[in-house]
Amino acid sequence: MRNSWKVAKWEIKRNLKSKSFLISLFLTPIIFAIFATVPTLLSDSGEDQDSQPAQTTVYLNDEVGIWDQLEPMVSKSDDLHWDVELTDQSSDEMTTTLEEETRAVYIHLGESALESGTVDYYTSEEVPDSFQYEVQLFEQPLRYVQLERTGLDESEIQSAMTPISFNQNEVKMEAENDVEDEQAQGVEAFLEKFIPGVFAGLVLFSIAITGMMVFQSASEEKKEKVAEIILSSVTAGELMQGKIIGYFVLGILQVTVWIGMALPVALALVDYPIIKYLLVPETLLFLLIAVLGYLMFASIFVGLGATLEDSSSGSNFQGFVFMIPWLPFIFLGPVISNPESTLSQVLSYVPFTSPGIMILRLSILDEWPWVQIFISLAILIVSIWLLMKLAGKIFRIGILIYGKNATLPEIWKWLRS
Amino acid sequence: MNEVLSVKGLGKSFKNTRVVKNIDFDVHKGEIMAVLGPNGAGKSTTIRSIMGILLPDEGSVTFHNHDQDGVPRHKIGYLPEERGLYKKVKVMDILLYFAELKDYPLDRAKERALEYLKKFDLEGKENVSVDELSKGMGQKVQFIGSVIHEPELLILDEPFSGLDPVSQEVFKQEIKDLAKKGTAILLSSHQMNLVEEMCDRLFLIHRGQKVVYGSMDEVKEQYANFKCTIHGDNDRSMLEKIDQVERVEQKDDISILYLSSDVVVSDWIKQLPSNLDIQELSVDRISLHEIFVDIATDRSLAQEAGVVDAK
Repeated sequence: MRNSWKVAKWEIKRNLKSKSFLISLFLTPIIFAIFATVPTLLSDSGEDQDSQPAQTTVYLNDEVGIWDQLEPMVSKSDDLHWDVELTDQSSDEMTTTLEEETRAVYIHLGESALESGTVDYYTSEEVPDSFQYEVQLFEQPLRYVQLERTGLDESEIQSAMTPISFNQNEVKMEAENDVEDEQAQGVEAFLEKFIPGVFAGLVLFSIAITGMMVFQSASEEKKEKVAEIILSSVTAGELMQGKIIGYFVLGILQVTVWIGMALPVALALVDYPIIKYLLVPETLLFLLIAVLGYLMFASIFVGLGATLEDSSSGSNFQGFVFMIPWLPFIFLGPVISNPESTLSQVLSYVPFTSPGIMILRLSILDEWPWVQIFISLAILIVSIWLLMKLAGKIFRIGILIYGKNATLPEIWKWLRS
Repeated sequence: MNEVLSVKGLGKSFKNTRVVKNIDFDVHKGEIMAVLGPNGAGKSTTIRSIMGILLPDEGSVTFHNHDQDGVPRHKIGYLPEERGLYKKVKVMDILLYFAELKDYPLDRAKERALEYLKKFDLEGKENVSVDELSKGMGQKVQFIGSVIHEPELLILDEPFSGLDPVSQEVFKQEIKDLAKKGTAILLSSHQMNLVEEMCDRLFLIHRGQKVVYGSMDEVKEQYANFKCTIHGDNDRSMLEKIDQVERVEQKDDISILYLSSDVVVSDWIKQLPSNLDIQELSVDRISLHEIFVDIATDRSLAQEAGVVDAK
């Protein structure tokens, strides 16, 4: 174990001194940030050109006399960008004005509108569609005037104008809590699992990438023929373990740096108390799954790396193995839409998909299926043990074969030896 | 003699092919012991079995002065045949890594590394990245890596392959010096001329089996008989009739007569037939190189040698 640590320490030191690792360490989150923000920036920029949103000129022919009531409301509102000009011209007379202006509306609130209940308004080109909602503003005052004229008194009008609303009250086992509280708890419970889930996903993603680095490192060891020199000091098993541990630490370091860069940004942008939801017991289980996932992929990759001298010339078989960590992505849709389906459950038991799928399911499920979790973890741990044994066999032989890439039958032979 | 390593009855098969069998030899403190043989004879397999990189099917490898089971890795320096260095690291970093793997104190290692770099004409290269070194420089760094922890036993698999003559000389001198200081050295090579000058004892291996084993002087006495090379147009049958000639090789005008081991050269020359066509004549001992070539090509001498030795 001490020797494994020495190898691990070397791998860590070597990578931390290498420019390419450092560049990717700091550049990846920046690239992510660019990809995440640039599209929104670009789409915003069209409207951002003049910082003040365009004003709509509203020509109002207010024969009914409700404008005085509305005026303070309109001028204070941030959402309405109206320039109201009172006019007493008729619609025919306004036509030319509307034709000349680009963003103008003419509204006629007259007796006929009160009687028929229909208000005609005329718009020029380029009046946004949202205006049809904005114009609803006139409805209530008009209705008030309408009702007033029928001779109802104040209280009658009030009751006539109060809309009837329907409130949903779900009956649950513990029905003591009132509705609002329960909703808040629901959100909280969701976040309690979702945020650690996102965190674990990030950890898994990062260490899947460092898993690839384990592969490269093993392949390099073979290509640069250092393996045999190292094997005169440590055993093949220790070398393999050292690499797995070393890149694990690098992976964790990577996540730490990424999160260190992303968390302040996330805290600034999002109102939720992310840290509070991250420091929950659930995070531990998520981390355990992510670590197990890493161990599995790392052992696959370290064995695979020992079979390849030149990673660019990998055959179809090795290329296929490379796809394994990304398998869960294929099932992303079906699992999200139904995390309790048979497919989702089966995928949680298949070792290659279980880390990704489990993290995904547990982040969105309300109730954790503990039995499934334990079965899945058990399968995962047994698979890791097995894969490590196999990888050890492949590594031991493969790392000392020079000048060629191993073929599948050869690997099979080593496994059986 | 103070034995450091003993190999007894070593055998190893890959699939159904027997790669080495019945390998027996010792390596003593302060001596240079050479394992010689053509390519594919089983030298590297033997060495890898000693190092525990391969597990032998049969036989034993004993490290004296070492109580526990297993290979005392910290006491051994090993330069494998297939060797290289990590590319994008500094020379000093990789040397210190090798030392650390051997649990050698790092401050001492640093001192020794600088000494050796100076000795090998690489002074000031300690902070240079390995991928900027020439091939020869790289090999020197590998050599330093194998001796940095002052090993009791140094195992060198083809240490001279790919070296220019100047570097060969540097390595040879250093290996001799190390032996003088008490390091037990086991080296394998197919470059006989180099080995002949430096090794104390040798083990010749062919097709995985022992062919010759003994001290350099013994082997020379036993196998390195005299041969006479004659330039001139002579009939083979006539040459074969000459006394004490065991074998004749002819190519164009050159005939090589292999003489029996008890020959007294001056007497033998006197009794040469007068009708021989002699343009040039030379008598010298068969070199290790020739024994080696003979063995590698399965010629009669080899078989004889094998038989003699088997007695």
